Amino acid sequence: MRFLCSGCYALFLALLIFIGQSSPSAAQNAPEKAALCASCHGQDGVPLDPTIPVIWGQNEGYLYIQLRDFARGARKNDQMAAVVQQLSKEDMQALAAYFSKQPWPNLGQKAPPSDIVKKAEAIANSAQCPQCHLGGYLGAGVQPRLAGQSQTYLRKTMTDFRSGARANNDWMTALLKTYSDADIAALAAYLAGF
Amino acid sequence: MSKIWKTTTMLAALAGLGLLGLNRAQADEVGQSTIYGDLTFVTQDMLNQAEHDGNNFLMTHGNYSQTRYYPNSQINAFNVQHLHPAWIFQTDVMESMETAPIVVNGVMYVTTSFDHVFALNARTGEQLWEYKHKLGPISVYCCGPNNRGVAVYENMVYLATLDAKLVALNAKTGKVVWQTELADPELGYSETMAPTVVNGKVLIGTNGGEYGIRGFVRAYDAKTGKLLWNFHTIPENSVGVWGTKDATGHDLHRDIAAEKAALAKLGDPYKRLGGGVWQNPAVDLKLNRIYFNVGNPSPDLDGSPRPGDNLYTDSLVSLDLDTGKYVCHYQYIPHDVWDLDAVSPAVLVDVKDNDGKIVPGVIHAGKTGYVYVNDRRDCHLIRFSEPMVPQENMFALPTHGIGTRMLPGANGGVEWSPMAVDPHLSLAYAINLHQPMHYSVAEAAYPAGKLWLGGAFKVIPGEPQWGNITAVDYDTGKIAWQVRTEQPMIGGVLATGGGLVFTGEGNGYFKAYDSKTGAELWRFQAGAGVNAPPSSYTVEGKQYIVVGAGGNTQLDYKRGNAIIAFTLY
Repeated sequence: MRFLCSGCYALFLALLIFIGQSSPSAAQNAPEKAALCASCHGQDGVPLDPTIPVIWGQNEGYLYIQLRDFARGARKNDQMAAVVQQLSKEDMQALAAYFSKQPWPNLGQKAPPSDIVKKAEAIANSAQCPQCHLGGYLGAGVQPRLAGQSQTYLRKTMTDFRSGARANNDWMTALLKTYSDADIAALAAYLAGF
Repeated sequence: MSKIWKTTTMLAALAGLGLLGLNRAQADEVGQSTIYGDLTFVTQDMLNQAEHDGNNFLMTHGNYSQTRYYPNSQINAFNVQHLHPAWIFQTDVMESMETAPIVVNGVMYVTTSFDHVFALNARTGEQLWEYKHKLGPISVYCCGPNNRGVAVYENMVYLATLDAKLVALNAKTGKVVWQTELADPELGYSETMAPTVVNGKVLIGTNGGEYGIRGFVRAYDAKTGKLLWNFHTIPENSVGVWGTKDATGHDLHRDIAAEKAALAKLGDPYKRLGGGVWQNPAVDLKLNRIYFNVGNPSPDLDGSPRPGDNLYTDSLVSLDLDTGKYVCHYQYIPHDVWDLDAVSPAVLVDVKDNDGKIVPGVIHAGKTGYVYVNDRRDCHLIRFSEPMVPQENMFALPTHGIGTRMLPGANGGVEWSPMAVDPHLSLAYAINLHQPMHYSVAEAAYPAGKLWLGGAFKVIPGEPQWGNITAVDYDTGKIAWQVRTEQPMIGGVLATGGGLVFTGEGNGYFKAYDSKTGAELWRFQAGAGVNAPPSSYTVEGKQYIVVGAGGNTQLDYKRGNAIIAFTLY
């Protein structure tokens, strides 16, 4: 899986070693440990690669659960697995709280043409997406914000849910199994431009 | 300048400088103490008499019988056309609104999504205080960040929260008096229901039937927050009698041999079987019992990891009020694999049995689209109503892939929306949904507090959806009248002594109907979905109807943030 831009990897490893040696106070260290996150998720909240999700302004509960799932192996990703090895539950909670308070970055993704919007809205209505992701697809608590998320990441995530490659939410797998590539592409474009 | 004037001026100046220590919260305190005593104090006697109280609206569903019947008739079928907004209050939360306003001697309490509570002057809509619950990072809920309201008792207001806390507030200030954690939200427990308070006990259930919880109803000490008793809605022996039919005689297509084999292999699944309780228990003060409905088993659509009848899911349950001990139950759907559970609140009414004799009854509207009528004494089923919505292919098993088309859809029938009752007409008023859905099954391991549906239910694109308001004669089971609405209905109903039935729609219309005939007598466009149960109250001789217009997450109806009170003049 391509995860890191090639130029970031050395920095990522160096930071990983550095963070692993840092002091234990989670609340104090949240920004410090956040520096590691910035090597992929961006210094200004704009990820360095479109397959990497925006975490600035993402919902706190969702961020914590994902870190927890990486640690438990319920969500697979080699780089994140290495990162969470260094984190206690308190670290994860502190990081989740910290990033949730950062402003959501504008990725400059434009709304798709009206026919794609119409198609995506029909799918979202059928799948009852707003029932969890709420009005405006802003989510809350453990439900992620989808509005304005990276289109490439959204598309990849939905595809991974469908195939089972991302296996930390069976409901999403069951739901997305009945949707085509074109359906997923339309949804990703719609949500990215929301 | 007189001495009094000097003193007043000085005090005013000091207050302006903040030197008197008056902060905003204190300044906002409700001054309801009078020569007659503290008018915001709610006695047990007031609660006992709530169904005859023509001034207040003291409980989420009006009274302990949960009839949502308000006895005042100032607003009635002859003058309702003159009903108009008296005031509009806007909350600071723009998301689903399911609150039922509570009114105590001119003070109103309403809640919003994400667990804010507002105290308002019920005459004017002026805000008295606001409590914003500081939600923990983990709040897990399936169907929107809803809250259905508060309970009031003595000088306190009680709130249950999305992060599974029970909170007691000072009714005059909104300040926290005590707070207790009900369960671990990371395991899928959450709260959207309003508590019920009776005889010093705060009664509360739990959400989480979609998350593999073990449901409960509990009583906490109203003064201290100490746990008094706990009833697991899932007993340690949840297997039951291997029922093959639902309460109405439909075949449930169970493979009992396969389930028995699974039971031998897996053991009793009681620890993660779900069984949430979405709505307030009804209280029978004479029998000293409570009655409530238990929701679906986990996972919703996949029965394979949960062999047996899955007691007491999809059931009416009665407990002793003092001890929380089991008295009786009646299961409507053993081993449900459709999420066609029992989520609308139980209502206590006197009903005719099949010999025409009046007996103490308990009724509720199921997601199946039936109104069920049970005997309060032993929980047995007396009758069920004509179906209020089309039932097509009902109880066909969910399949892999695209799934099985079935009606009602997984939202019902009837959702959590409370019915209202006019006891003089023996009519129960329910609101219905018609949403054709595909039900599919997909086996999934217990996901440790995450959504655990074991498949998916999807609204079928292109198929018409609509709703009903249905009046059911609970002495016969016959439908007395029915009104079609352009969208599936969710929210709740109020009936009044003025011969009226009030309910709202997702398109923003709030309407009044003749309770005998269903004739529409009045409508108001609120600008956002009216998907909350209305209440009524009377202050200083003026009757009001009040309702939240905040839309709905579950059906994605237009969001708003208004509480609107209506009056005649």
